[in-house]
Amino acid sequence: MSERFFISETDLRGLTADLLDGGTEVIAPVATDICQSPSAVAATACTLDGSKVEIDYRQLTSADDLDLSRGLPQLSLKEFFLPEHEALCHWRQKGTTVQVFEVPTEFAPRVVLAAKPCDAAALAVVDKVMNWDYEDELWNGRRAATTVINLACQVIDDSCFCTAVGAAPDDVKGADGLLTPVEGGYVYEPATDKGRALVEDFAARFSADVPADTIGGQADDERAAARARVADNLEIDADSVRDWIEANFEDPLLTHLAMRCNGCGACTGVCPTCHCFDIVDEQEGVGHGTRRRLWDTCQAPTFTLHASGHNPRDTQHVRYRQRINHKFSIYPLRFGEVLCTGCGRCTRVCHAGQDLVEILEAIDIAARRPRDAEPAEAAS
Amino acid sequence: MNIYHPLLTTVTEMVDETPDTRTLRLEFQDDAVREGFDFKAGQFGEYSVFGAGESTFCIASSPTREGYIECSFKAIGKVTTALREVNLGDTVGFRGPYGNWFPVDEWKGKDVVFIAGGIGLAPVRCVIWNVLDRRDEFGDVTIVYGARSVEDLVYKRELEEWASRSDVKTVTTVDPGGETKDWSGEIGYVTPVVEKTAPKADNAVAVLCGPPVVVKLTLPVLEELGFADDAIYTTLENRMKCGLGKCGRCNIGPVYVCKDGPVFTAAQMKKLPPEF
Repeated sequence: MSERFFISETDLRGLTADLLDGGTEVIAPVATDICQSPSAVAATACTLDGSKVEIDYRQLTSADDLDLSRGLPQLSLKEFFLPEHEALCHWRQKGTTVQVFEVPTEFAPRVVLAAKPCDAAALAVVDKVMNWDYEDELWNGRRAATTVINLACQVIDDSCFCTAVGAAPDDVKGADGLLTPVEGGYVYEPATDKGRALVEDFAARFSADVPADTIGGQADDERAAARARVADNLEIDADSVRDWIEANFEDPLLTHLAMRCNGCGACTGVCPTCHCFDIVDEQEGVGHGTRRRLWDTCQAPTFTLHASGHNPRDTQHVRYRQRINHKFSIYPLRFGEVLCTGCGRCTRVCHAGQDLVEILEAIDIAARRPRDAEPAEAAS
Repeated sequence: MNIYHPLLTTVTEMVDETPDTRTLRLEFQDDAVREGFDFKAGQFGEYSVFGAGESTFCIASSPTREGYIECSFKAIGKVTTALREVNLGDTVGFRGPYGNWFPVDEWKGKDVVFIAGGIGLAPVRCVIWNVLDRRDEFGDVTIVYGARSVEDLVYKRELEEWASRSDVKTVTTVDPGGETKDWSGEIGYVTPVVEKTAPKADNAVAVLCGPPVVVKLTLPVLEELGFADDAIYTTLENRMKCGLGKCGRCNIGPVYVCKDGPVFTAAQMKKLPPEF
């Protein structure tokens, strides 16, 4: 059994305050009642009683803002490691002379508290491509500076499917430790040196006396129940899905499954593992500017458009196929990992109703079907 | 320096190859980089004009010519239009070299056949000079090059130089109607001219690059002549941003042009899914 500590609800908030007082940036889920903000007064999203809570990972200004009771934040942790846009270098030009200035690749230490396991796992998955022969120091610098502490999921909905892609609602993959809610507080299990350092640095906040009934009891039972609840949503054989996509690139099923997609790219924005980017120059004034990388989306026709006008992915179903292919076949073939951690955000955010749970189920059925059988029907 | 940080070069030579294609010679500004820079024939880079952005093309000069690199481009997009505006002495950014290369060392003792169409001669030119600068190591060298018209032929001075050499067989052709009154080369598309030239396939490799239609039509002709799929090389291009396997757009199915390519054999190309 791994090392376990107990931290009370009060001490967890105290630990958060200690970190903030010590000047460490803390990122954690924060709930906001958007109906209370002036900009949202007219929002139709607000219910009649004038309350709609949204949950986001935010940089905390006060330990009081930490909210550990809710479901998945709207956006993943991606933006804290691969910002929506970031400088790659700055330049200054005078006549024929150009000076290029480096951007820092070392970052101040920070802690993510109560990360969702699917969001932390995504960091470990994207680590692979960010270190494929060439090391992306900007990504690695932020990864090295950050201690990520997961909170085992209590709120699970119909779009969650982490267990189908090799993760779990109580996973520590990509994280440095795991908190599991128990009566009066949390069981904390460090998973890495960074996770153990948190206990060493703030020893007074942790107790080695873990209440006896939580070991092999309440904590473990609830974690097992959460895993079973997710597994109820989707069970696939990810290896068969990988091989089927590779072998059936032109299968009409992949076209059929893309028919509702209108290419808005919202799925790629909210996805914790979608990491594709653009690089552009931003002229900031006469003779100076910044080269930036920005999130990009494979769902946009311009993503692959050649200057000649030729476009290898010139229709939407082909672009949708690329997204499915990249996540469930290309990336697993390259790096041995599925480029998806089953957070389900793409399904929740899609206004056209593209449902990855349904799509993976359809591919899984096709992959299990004997080769001589009828072509698979698309999911309805 | 992070991996996206560009090196600085100075434009030391400019040649207008055709009305819309220009070649720039770039020398690294930093002494240590200039001395230490090394690449192999077929590799590419990200060239940048500060304020306009980066664009991907092959290194068109030979690794045997040290101290500089050259690129040839058509002014067709945002960055290439800006590159066309630069003058001698101006600064251009460069990241690279990236990607794989033509296995020139493995061709020692073999005949080498170069076939190119249009601007496709740029990546092939790099290999041609690489081979010619080490001429003794190879068998017969044949170059078949074609463009739409005489005006559209790139590297005209070098075509003349290759044609004047006794140790190279150079065949230049222009599409019917693209010839001038004093044109002395072939008239016809690249593919039938290759058929007519009929280079022998025994102990030979072919390097083929050009517009997709030239590559598509010439491959069966080379096969007919007896070239095996793994003796035919080409170089592909796709839109790229990073050149390093991270930005996620140059893949053809599971194959990344930036990391697995840009140089592929015909055998490898045939395995690619139809996404190009």
